Amino acid sequence: MSVRRLPVYILLDTSGSMRGEPIHSVNVGLQAMLSALRQDPYALESVHLSIITFDIEAREYLPLTPLDEVQIGEIQSPESGATFLGAALELLIQQVDRDIRKSTGDVKGDWRPLLFIMTDGSPSDLLAYRQAIPEIKRRNFGSIVACAAGHKAKQDALRELTDRVVTLDTMDAAAFSGFFKWVSASVSVGSSSAGLEHQVTLPPPPPEVQLVL
Amino acid sequence: MTNVITCRTLDGQAVEFVDEVVGSGAMKEVHFAPDRSYVVAFYKAPQDNQAKERLQMITGKYRESIFNQVGGDYWRNLFCWPTAMLEHEGRLGLVAPTYPRHFFFEHGSRNSDMLGIKGKEKEGKWFAAANLRNRFVDPRELGDWLNHLKVCLLLARAVRRMHMAGLAHSDLSYKNVLVDPSQGLACVIDVDGLVVPGKYPPDVVGTPDFIAPEVVMTSHLAREDPNRRLPRRETDLHALAVLIYMYLLYRHPLRGGKVHDLQDEQRDEALSMGEKALFVEHPTDRSNRIKVASVKPTELPWANTERMPFSITGPYLADLFQRSFIAGLHDPSQRPSANEWETALVKTVDLIQPCLNPDCEQKWYVFDNTTTPCCPFCATPFQGKLPVLNLYSSRKQGEFRPDNHRLMVWTGQSLFLWHANNLIAPNEKLTEEQKRRVGYFVLHDGRWWLVNEALPDLMEVATRTRVPIGGKLELEDGQQILLARGDGGRLVVVQMVDA
Repeated sequence: MSVRRLPVYILLDTSGSMRGEPIHSVNVGLQAMLSALRQDPYALESVHLSIITFDIEAREYLPLTPLDEVQIGEIQSPESGATFLGAALELLIQQVDRDIRKSTGDVKGDWRPLLFIMTDGSPSDLLAYRQAIPEIKRRNFGSIVACAAGHKAKQDALRELTDRVVTLDTMDAAAFSGFFKWVSASVSVGSSSAGLEHQVTLPPPPPEVQLVL
Repeated sequence: MTNVITCRTLDGQAVEFVDEVVGSGAMKEVHFAPDRSYVVAFYKAPQDNQAKERLQMITGKYRESIFNQVGGDYWRNLFCWPTAMLEHEGRLGLVAPTYPRHFFFEHGSRNSDMLGIKGKEKEGKWFAAANLRNRFVDPRELGDWLNHLKVCLLLARAVRRMHMAGLAHSDLSYKNVLVDPSQGLACVIDVDGLVVPGKYPPDVVGTPDFIAPEVVMTSHLAREDPNRRLPRRETDLHALAVLIYMYLLYRHPLRGGKVHDLQDEQRDEALSMGEKALFVEHPTDRSNRIKVASVKPTELPWANTERMPFSITGPYLADLFQRSFIAGLHDPSQRPSANEWETALVKTVDLIQPCLNPDCEQKWYVFDNTTTPCCPFCATPFQGKLPVLNLYSSRKQGEFRPDNHRLMVWTGQSLFLWHANNLIAPNEKLTEEQKRRVGYFVLHDGRWWLVNEALPDLMEVATRTRVPIGGKLELEDGQQILLARGDGGRLVVVQMVDA
């Protein structure tokens, strides 16, 4: 009882270059991920989801919400605009500091939060991005996965944040749905059989996704 | 059109499967046969020789030793056991029966299946957590408490059978047991990881919630370290006890309010499931009680251990829960065997009483051994005359000893041969003949009657009145009734509770 919450933060790039098929695919993938997670009784008991979108500014698109209460509409992307990933990280830090429950003598705190970032470019606010990284690392995430979608995405910048960077070669629905399926599988992995050796807790990525190490 | 691939198992049978993955777990990818009567599953990773040899034994010798014996068919409903091994394009695979239909949700979740789980596997977790039951699962899927007892009984029996054969499952969890509480059915799956002591070591440490404390405590040690504890028969017994507790009380026996590490929740988790594991209902150490103030309203009343203590499961199960979660929690040798669980569950089924409240969610409850019985789930008191039959059995001619076994009487309650003779146990060894009812009880005009259908020796002892087959006998307080003569033959002493 008193099940720990598993906070999951998803940062989504909504910059101008995502307009059209890419953002549409992200929406489709996100909805599929939600239904998959809701069919998992373990996730339904523990997962709390938050979504931050970023283009020329960062917005709390969905505050941290229990999985069964999550309702998300169509995420839009502006005509054009920069990729303020740094601003998104700053917003994330505020949110994490506000939302994450620490254990007290009486109550069990949250699991370490998981962070998934999807971008098709590279941070336009590189300085802010770099300044936010040490702060993010202090927040003790359970795991951080960055997804570089399409050929314009710069992996180098992402690798400063996490060594777990996956790339999507294409930005179509199949690629994004593969990515979101992987996110939901990563979230559910805590309830599966555990191996004998301590290992990376993420499941192997689906064939569409390349893991850059 | 999807492609159908034909190949041969290693023992030469032809198999076909559709070239489309229908399910994917941690270890295997599953394909249907074209007619869906069986599945073919391939390991994702290459398997070493030992794993191959083990699978050969599981599909061969071990399977035959369980299924190819008298009564072997009984086990087909309790195990989804792989039947053959194959290799295809360099990948090792197995052939296994398809899960029966009743293990897939027929109605799914509430509000016209808002979660979209209709047609999905009935993973046990849905039924073992109060919040999921109360908020999400369609009430038609939930079944009543008697069916939950039956689920546990079949589970204990399946584990007992594996242990009898010298095998340990090694990863019992609600993921690896399919349940159907709406009919009271259960089936153990994923037996391909089973452990044979001294021969095939385990692949996994188990699934969180079910890993025994000694395994959690030593999981940081290297595999070869002599102090490392790995899954084996005794850890199956921990997992079995946790499963039974969760299926009957809809909460975890070790997940209470005690916090062991304020900073690091992973370490807190490891301590509370391992070294510092403590029963939430420990009689003297109350420090891990579930804090009712911090639970979700939908976890009640189950999260309230004062209102729903484990003692509502009756004396036989309560004793085993104490041994499992107090003495046996940190001392594996003291854990009750699967056989003990099976016996206790069989005896508990005889203690069960229908609730008089037609809207009671659980519908059945265990007689609490008082003169004022009351349903613990909905608090409806029992009203009327309640006969309790205390069973005694004969060890030598004319001498009857108590069996610590009682049978509660309710209208429509049946008497079986295993009630009339203590040498007969209701399990897979029963013949068709032995499964037939031998008598029943009925309340008529305020009087309780036992109707004799197949007990040639039935006799009221005090008056030495024989009750012929087809005859009836009125039950009265203090009455002694002989059910059967001979070895193991039973005598009952009637107690009449008037509430």
